[in-house]
Amino acid sequence: MALLTLSRSSVGLPGRNLLLTLPALLLVVFFFLLPVAILLSRSVTEPTLGLHNYVELLGSPTYLKIFYNTFLVSSLVTIISLLIGFPVAWALAIMPRGLSSVVFAILLLSMWTNLLARTYAWMVLLQRTGVINKTLMGLGIIDQPLQLVNNLVGVTIGMTYIMVPFIVIPLHGVIRKIDPAILQAAALCGASRWQALRMVLIPLARPGIFSGALMVFVMSLGYFVTPALLGGTANMMLAELIAQFVQSLLNWGMGGAAALVLLSVTMALYILQVRLFGAKG
Amino acid sequence: MKLAKHLKTGAAVLALGLAATAAQAEEMVFTSWGGQTQDLQKQHWAEPFTAATGIAVAHDGPTDYGKLQVMVESGNVTWDLVDVEADFAAKAGNDGLLEPIDFSIVDRSQLDPRFVTDYSVGSFSYAFVLGYDVNAYQADQPKDWSALFDLEKYPGKRSLYKWSGPGVLEAALLADGVAPEDLYPLDLDRAFAKLDTIKSEIIWWSTGAQSQQLLASGEVSIGQFWCGRVFLLQATGTDVGISWEQNLTSADSLVVPKGSKNKEAAMKFIALATSAEAQASFAVDSGNSPINVNSAALMPAEYAEKLPENFSDLGVDLDLAYWAANRDEIGARWYAWQAE
Repeated sequence: MALLTLSRSSVGLPGRNLLLTLPALLLVVFFFLLPVAILLSRSVTEPTLGLHNYVELLGSPTYLKIFYNTFLVSSLVTIISLLIGFPVAWALAIMPRGLSSVVFAILLLSMWTNLLARTYAWMVLLQRTGVINKTLMGLGIIDQPLQLVNNLVGVTIGMTYIMVPFIVIPLHGVIRKIDPAILQAAALCGASRWQALRMVLIPLARPGIFSGALMVFVMSLGYFVTPALLGGTANMMLAELIAQFVQSLLNWGMGGAAALVLLSVTMALYILQVRLFGAKG
Repeated sequence: MKLAKHLKTGAAVLALGLAATAAQAEEMVFTSWGGQTQDLQKQHWAEPFTAATGIAVAHDGPTDYGKLQVMVESGNVTWDLVDVEADFAAKAGNDGLLEPIDFSIVDRSQLDPRFVTDYSVGSFSYAFVLGYDVNAYQADQPKDWSALFDLEKYPGKRSLYKWSGPGVLEAALLADGVAPEDLYPLDLDRAFAKLDTIKSEIIWWSTGAQSQQLLASGEVSIGQFWCGRVFLLQATGTDVGISWEQNLTSADSLVVPKGSKNKEAAMKFIALATSAEAQASFAVDSGNSPINVNSAALMPAEYAEKLPENFSDLGVDLDLAYWAANRDEIGARWYAWQAE
């Protein structure tokens, strides 16, 4: 069956199909490619022609640290979201249908709540005088409030909270299709629970894991609101730097240069992922 | 609220005179910072303006200087009137991004001259003041900016405005002993060195709402805030204090981007928004100060006595022309220092 669909689409009418996609292609070119190209061209033309914006960006320890912060937080958020999202997606798949729709609705509800409101809520929870610190101090577990906000810890917590649904949804779609009988078969063949998870379930869920992780990682790289509110200035992330260049300093040259570096690294990671796992995914 | 209504009617009557020439269904776009400020601008300025002139006002936001610049450069200007910070207004005027204000429509004689240029007029003014948690410093209440830098006498986190602009650097220099008349040109090395001494204790606020949250929850004990935000906290019964010593007065400005298609409507809007009545009613509700010199007389005493202009003998004027000329250079250094 799969073979049949494949061959049918490959012997279809390419010319006509292409024509049908033309409006969408034009949209992409005019609203996505062109603006990006203009912004990037400003990075080598402003204030004068040349690569000085890139020299300044990559030659400054301050800016390099911002790149480092961005990749560190994005990696951590991706890993933690996976560690939380995988069990949730699995639980959703094996729950009774009624319960799983309730849990799914809760997840979606959190996504639909205003982002700013959710981020402010975390600020109130995490601050030194916040609920978490007050509770821990009241229980005598700590005597000094933990520094949970205005640093990368706060950013990581806040962003993970936002990103978990983006892992759960694609992963759930993949896991749901895995036949539970396969796991029974693994058990019958003598696999321990751990072996069944590691050798059967995870490999089968791999496409969902990679697409979810890639989406979360790339979204995290360019995330603005949460780092701006939960992070401190001493550990800024890249989107904030770009916003400063463009909105506050009107320095489109540096803003464009930072955007291109971010874009290149993201593309490189994407290509790497496709190379490494694309065949299996 | 009766008063606000009364003032609004007054503003509407004034606008009626301006409207005589206004033709059929026009529309203009007013852009501001969103949140409470823009809600009140809509209520006290835009709605009476539409009632009086028939010109509909669409609201957009938040203000974004990058967007404004791109609109003007590309010739596709969709914002007719924008609320910006005064230092940006001065710079954008110099850079040719703005239409000159038509002072045959806007009555310049009534406006506080500190906040008027050929390309901008004040929108509302405010003072950066020292705000603090009264209970944190029972024995000795802080008085001036030196308290911000005195970690021994006034321990605790401090909060300062995150974005580059007039205010924080001036406070650092005043605290370091620079006389108000010698502030400009700013000694940036000295200011940043002074800020270095408290850098690890600073929690930056980026929006007015955030500054209130930080101070009210006790997350910070002291800081530099917009006076209106501290008033609003006091009004809700929070135990916060204000010191007017060395208050730094600045303003927002109304500007018309160059190439606006509804320039004339925008000028009429400015005329209404800066009228004594509209400025007074906006100030009463927002905790900011009017930029029309005749507004104070229209405000109830309990509001009028809290206006920064009553404390101008304690205050220090910010040099907005200096900021307009040096904004980019200071901004680049400011953000690099913050990120270090």
